[in-house]
Amino acid sequence: MRVNFWYFGSLIVSLTVAIPILTVFTSFFENTTNYFEILKNTFLAEYIFNSLVLLIGVLFLTFLMGVGCAYLVSFYNFPGVNFFKWALILSFAVPPYIYAYSLTAFFENYGTAFSILKSVFGDGDYNKSIPKFDGMLGAILSVSFSIFGYVYILTRASFYYQSQNLIELGKNLGFSKFKSLTSIILPSARPAIVAGLSLVAMETLSDFGAVSFFGINTLTTGIYNSWIAFDDLAFANQLSFYLLIFILALFILENFSRKKAKYHSPTKGGFKQKEKINLIGTKSFLAFLACTLVLFLSFIFPLSQMLYWTIIFPKNFLDLNFQQLFMNTILLVSLSSLVLIFFSFISNYGNRVSRSKFLNILTTFSVSGYAIPGVILAVAFITFIAWFDDTIINFFEFKSVKKVFIGSILGLVLVYFVRFYSLACNGIKSGYEKINRSIDESAYLIGYSKFKTFLNIHVPYLRNSILLVAILVSLEVIRELPITLILRPFNFETFATTAYIFASQDLLEAAAVPSLFLILIASFFILLTSKYILREDNE
Amino acid sequence: MKKISVLLLIVSFFISSLAIASEVNIFSARHYDSDIQLYEKFTAKTGIKVNVVSGKDKVLQKRIAEEGTDCVGDLYITADAGRLGAFQAKGMLQKAGWSKAVKDSVPYNFRSDYWTGIAKRARIIYYSPERVSANELNGMTYEGLADSKWKGRLVIRKSNNIYNQSLVASLVKNNGKKATAAWAKAVVGNMARTPKGNDRAQILAVAAGEADIAVANTYYHALMLSGKKGVEQQAAAKKVIPFFPNQQDRGTHMNISGAGMLKYAPNKANAVKLVEFLLTKEAQNHIVNNTFEYPMIAGVSPNNLVPGKDMNFKQDTKTKVKSYGDKQADALEVMLAAGWK
Repeated sequence: MRVNFWYFGSLIVSLTVAIPILTVFTSFFENTTNYFEILKNTFLAEYIFNSLVLLIGVLFLTFLMGVGCAYLVSFYNFPGVNFFKWALILSFAVPPYIYAYSLTAFFENYGTAFSILKSVFGDGDYNKSIPKFDGMLGAILSVSFSIFGYVYILTRASFYYQSQNLIELGKNLGFSKFKSLTSIILPSARPAIVAGLSLVAMETLSDFGAVSFFGINTLTTGIYNSWIAFDDLAFANQLSFYLLIFILALFILENFSRKKAKYHSPTKGGFKQKEKINLIGTKSFLAFLACTLVLFLSFIFPLSQMLYWTIIFPKNFLDLNFQQLFMNTILLVSLSSLVLIFFSFISNYGNRVSRSKFLNILTTFSVSGYAIPGVILAVAFITFIAWFDDTIINFFEFKSVKKVFIGSILGLVLVYFVRFYSLACNGIKSGYEKINRSIDESAYLIGYSKFKTFLNIHVPYLRNSILLVAILVSLEVIRELPITLILRPFNFETFATTAYIFASQDLLEAAAVPSLFLILIASFFILLTSKYILREDNE
Repeated sequence: MKKISVLLLIVSFFISSLAIASEVNIFSARHYDSDIQLYEKFTAKTGIKVNVVSGKDKVLQKRIAEEGTDCVGDLYITADAGRLGAFQAKGMLQKAGWSKAVKDSVPYNFRSDYWTGIAKRARIIYYSPERVSANELNGMTYEGLADSKWKGRLVIRKSNNIYNQSLVASLVKNNGKKATAAWAKAVVGNMARTPKGNDRAQILAVAAGEADIAVANTYYHALMLSGKKGVEQQAAAKKVIPFFPNQQDRGTHMNISGAGMLKYAPNKANAVKLVEFLLTKEAQNHIVNNTFEYPMIAGVSPNNLVPGKDMNFKQDTKTKVKSYGDKQADALEVMLAAGWK
């Protein structure tokens, strides 16, 4: 282990990220007034039950859609397959809460579905025959359609690297296509599928927007209510303990399958390019239909609902201060990308040159910020700053720092940093893993300093990783709602907060305009990344 | 780009602590777009800049509480008396020193020393004239929602909704906790479905035939009638009729949108000026025509689309809105104990 500037840099970055996460769980170890003691066990059971149902529902749907679509576009040729390959990831542009708005508006009594039926078939009592997608079902659908892309992308990448040899093995054994799928293709892609599903699970557990919109009490909304609404830290602690168990299990699962995934990557020598099977007739049509359906439900449906409202209520469009919202969004996006990439580099390089086990573990721990619900993280941040200010800063009689961190762009970017650090850190890390350590050694041999090695060798090598991380972070920041809502400065709105504000006045029609822009801008970023996410096109 | 970003970062360090000579800072849980236009009018008139940060009620309260003496907020604006009362009880508000203008225009039961109402709303019953007879509703009260004749015919939103909590708090205040607990049980037994959706969804459920009566605030109906929710909802709104309960006794349950003076308000005088402005005829007219609430002051008419637009119904002025905050915890407890989702 070598302790130097890089070691400390890396240590500080990891600690910064870890502190708010620790605050979430330690701040609950205080005694506070209890509310409705008798009812608590009922609540606890309900929260756990709802979280489980939501989780199982979302995992089932995302597995079906993610793996199904990945299988179709990876192994078969049918009309539009090259289009679907990238178009299916557009679903990322629609955050769960905006999906929830669309779902409600379309299916509610006298909603859009009613209007359509009426304009096609004339007057009638359609409300009773229109299915209602609200409550738990609504939440499951909103979350699933918005994030099934994780499973799709990772599974597809894994399918892509599967060698034709494997498929031929199945053929030689006389397997049917279905048997090949269940006995060869899926098992060998299992680590990727599990990794995708555990990302989905983390997002699902930490979702606040969609579940609170549908009024579902999950562990996350339970923590929010008992901590923030009732100041009942003891109960919040109990709930976060359960949430932590869920997250920890997922985290271990994800890390484990990520490690395992390496062993499933084929070596260059044994790899044989896959031959896609050409589908014809009904089969080709069915494959086309399945992909169209998923694309339609996940992306075109919410987009059209927002577009429809923007068109029939044009005043909302004209009233929106687009320029200001755009500038604010861009400001947040560029600052957080910059900060995240910069510090991910320090941390990764620090890890690389110091080879410290402790540092490695700390980094692994600090990336778990992604699993802490944004709404909880934001309030934990406020609590931490207040505690820090009241005890430490006060002790030294310095000027209060609260204003510097709470309700400022700086504070906002800091919490984004904690939340999205895992994304940036892992992105840079996977790039680093491809640079052989012997390159570093050679650089030192010819007299390069550590810093020069970093700047002149690593940074250019990792250009693509940097770009990818920047775009992924931007995408998250554009869609982010609770942190922005809680920590933003005075008179500062983004597309997400504007949409939320209209929606909470029961004006989903007006929320449509900022939502539409949010979707379009996010789609633009997705199109920029598709080249990197769907690897084969640039290798 | 990098240079600009760094510069922006440094600037943002200071922006939040930068005190502009004449301003007033608002934490608002009542986030109407139209309020912003109103604040702009105020600035044009007085030169006092209005800064707003909006958000969910409880989180704003948390932020204000944790910021403590460093909180630059002057006013806390929210759409429920119970919330103002509960925040006051936590010691987060200070006596505002309302001017005579404020005291003269706002009736005593709609304000306290710490906060004041700026607009009113009523929580009323909506019914389907096809399935509910005038006779059935004769002398109808909130207490009457527990009557077994409404079994499977009533829709109302969830117990976590603040408007329900305030309504039930007023019942606790008037009838006691025990009686209200029994009432809540009976009401849950009468529900046509597990509570879901907002107030408008309850009205729509009656229009669509899912239920016969709904409990909802007055402005939701006006919003639907205004056409801002589309032609279908406009037509649906016409299928239900508003009914003002408790006309024979204490009157219909009233609630307020109000502003409270924050404990460490740095611009207290400006905050009082803003509240005074919000209570002028000009501002009240703007509010009633955009949010469809009732005016707080006399001499301003509600919007034509609002139920009870002539204000000829009996308002419950006996129950002080202050009590909604005091009885909030009891209200939530009886609802949850009754299995009110």
